[in-house]
Amino acid sequence: MAGVAGGGGGGGGGNDFQWCFSQVKGAIDEDVAEADIISTVEFNYSGDLLATGDKGGRVVIFQREQENKSRPHSRGEYNVYSTFQSHEPEFDYLKSLEIEEKINKIRWLPQQNAAHFLLSTNDKTIKLWKISERDKRAEGYNLKDEDGRLRDPFRITALRVPILKPMDLMVEASPRRIFANAHTYHINSISVNSDHETYLSADDLRINLWHLEITDRSFNIVDIKPANMEELTEVITAAEFHPHHCNVFVYSSSKGTIRLCDMRSSALCDRHSKFFEEPEDPSSRSFFSEIISSISDVKFSHSGRYMMTRDYLSVKVWDLNMENRPVETYQVHEYLRSKLCSLYENDCIFDKFECCWNGSDSAIMTGSYNNFFRLFDRNTRRDITLEASRESSKPRAILKPRKVCTGGKRKKDEISVDSLDFNKKILHTAWHPTDNIIAVAATNNLYIFQDKIN
Amino acid sequence: MLGRGLKRKLSDYEENMAGLSSAFDSSRNLPYSLKRQLVLNMCLTKLQTYKMVVEPNLHRSVLIANTVRQIQEEMRQESSQQPVNVCPIENSLLMVSDDDMSSAISSILKDLDFMEDISPPTSLVPAGDDEPKSPESTCLKLEDDRQDLKGAECVFGSFEISNSTSYLKDLAIDDIFEDIDTSMYDSDFCVPPLMTPRPPSSATEETLKTFPSCNSSSANNIPICRTDLSELDHIMEILVGS
Repeated sequence: MAGVAGGGGGGGGGNDFQWCFSQVKGAIDEDVAEADIISTVEFNYSGDLLATGDKGGRVVIFQREQENKSRPHSRGEYNVYSTFQSHEPEFDYLKSLEIEEKINKIRWLPQQNAAHFLLSTNDKTIKLWKISERDKRAEGYNLKDEDGRLRDPFRITALRVPILKPMDLMVEASPRRIFANAHTYHINSISVNSDHETYLSADDLRINLWHLEITDRSFNIVDIKPANMEELTEVITAAEFHPHHCNVFVYSSSKGTIRLCDMRSSALCDRHSKFFEEPEDPSSRSFFSEIISSISDVKFSHSGRYMMTRDYLSVKVWDLNMENRPVETYQVHEYLRSKLCSLYENDCIFDKFECCWNGSDSAIMTGSYNNFFRLFDRNTRRDITLEASRESSKPRAILKPRKVCTGGKRKKDEISVDSLDFNKKILHTAWHPTDNIIAVAATNNLYIFQDKIN
Repeated sequence: MLGRGLKRKLSDYEENMAGLSSAFDSSRNLPYSLKRQLVLNMCLTKLQTYKMVVEPNLHRSVLIANTVRQIQEEMRQESSQQPVNVCPIENSLLMVSDDDMSSAISSILKDLDFMEDISPPTSLVPAGDDEPKSPESTCLKLEDDRQDLKGAECVFGSFEISNSTSYLKDLAIDDIFEDIDTSMYDSDFCVPPLMTPRPPSSATEETLKTFPSCNSSSANNIPICRTDLSELDHIMEILVGS
């Protein structure tokens, strides 16, 4: 099963289909406002809602339109459903530090009633937001006028029952819980448990377990802070609950390792149940080996049988039953290996790319530079590089595969490594839970692509 | 004048670094020891830059520190095997001693601890746990932390103040000492980590100069301040009285 997917064209995602441009959201301006930079993208469980968070602390939720028989081509477009300010910048007076309002992660809760719930977090505080619709209002109150003015009780001679009348749809977002003061270091992950009652939040050195109803207490389940900070050599980079087993979670580290923990074995999960690490390839060793091995994202497959990790140059798929090496490794941009010193100098080597599975776990996607993103088909072993750009943004235009020229003669339509724009990085991508719809965040723009079945 | 000169030097240095790093990537003829020295210099420069930021990135600091340690270890092993083989080019580059590197890493990581982990996380430690790492079993609000800090550890207090350079410039020296429980300064135990012997970086030198009283002899300075105040009161009384 182990193998390396190399280059090659062709469609990604199987069944010989192609990706088409669907929509792009965000300003066209070349001048990008820092606050508008998208910092997280997440579909909800049904895929009808798509949430984005940005550096300015705002959350924008898009809703998929119902398919219209009269307009079959505008298949399920996403339009703005709700916008709200989730986090504000704060100042910690005690430590003289500013707390950024940037939304690091958004995670949806499974829908249990008409309202939608999501968790959004910045570096220090997690908030539970309720998004609810109001499309009716009551008319004919006894104690107040239609304007809302209170009526004089003595003037009321008859009682009536208020009637519900339709009104323009209003979507309201209200913060229902605020989970604060539990993280000393910066929160990098949140993950909702399959029990739908608890969730975890992870920072550089600790992981806390919360109950969604309780905000004044959290339970510390992982603590890797050494007694003497000078001995610190490893930090937590990402964490996630298993999709089916509510007692199991994993966390990745800056040393390229993943630990699987079982909360049933002990209260403080300092001892892992499983330890995943691939032995280093001595032939590719460099000064930057450790830095590029740092895992920036970890995601369980929907089946719960596999997990995927993203490090600087590759994506690895692990079988939970095999700890000593991944079952699949995909090179995202191997051509950068010879540029590591420059990338270290300009700090790009610390960029944290995310990765995601498709609904059936047959394909995976991750971002790269120059607004390129990569899709890998696990069955056919084919991969494709696509670009999120305004140029290829005509309605239903098929995306052309892109190729980076690594050396020698540059073919037509290829781009050389030195021409790549390292400021255009695609760190955040999301795949619809069931359909072939992908959302790609390119700085301040959100691109939505759909498949076009031949 | 000095500031301008310093800035020019830094940007020149940055340009050199960019040129050197692309040389590192493209050239196959650069000797290994030179490449290693270049990477080491870049690491130390980054760590130095982080020291001046109020809240350095812990993840990056740890990765860079590990890289430095790795190179350090390699160089140590090499020097123990071949004691007499120094490349002349290496000498002309920024040669940093082992002690400097270790102390740079230590200070970065210690800074991160003091700056960040003053208010412990709110957590419940259940009974029967092996090693409760968080002794606090009740909810700690931020206000309680402030009170605890003021009264208790002067080591933490003085180190935190002297480390946060922006905080320094805004306040007069007297204002800072007003908050601190001065009885603590009588204790011999109270020696701020800043005074540990090591070659001071430019940032550290600056802070040391700004706070000549922020050392173990500060206990002597406080009574002087008090005398000043009482003298002032005395003078005021005389003026008002007449």
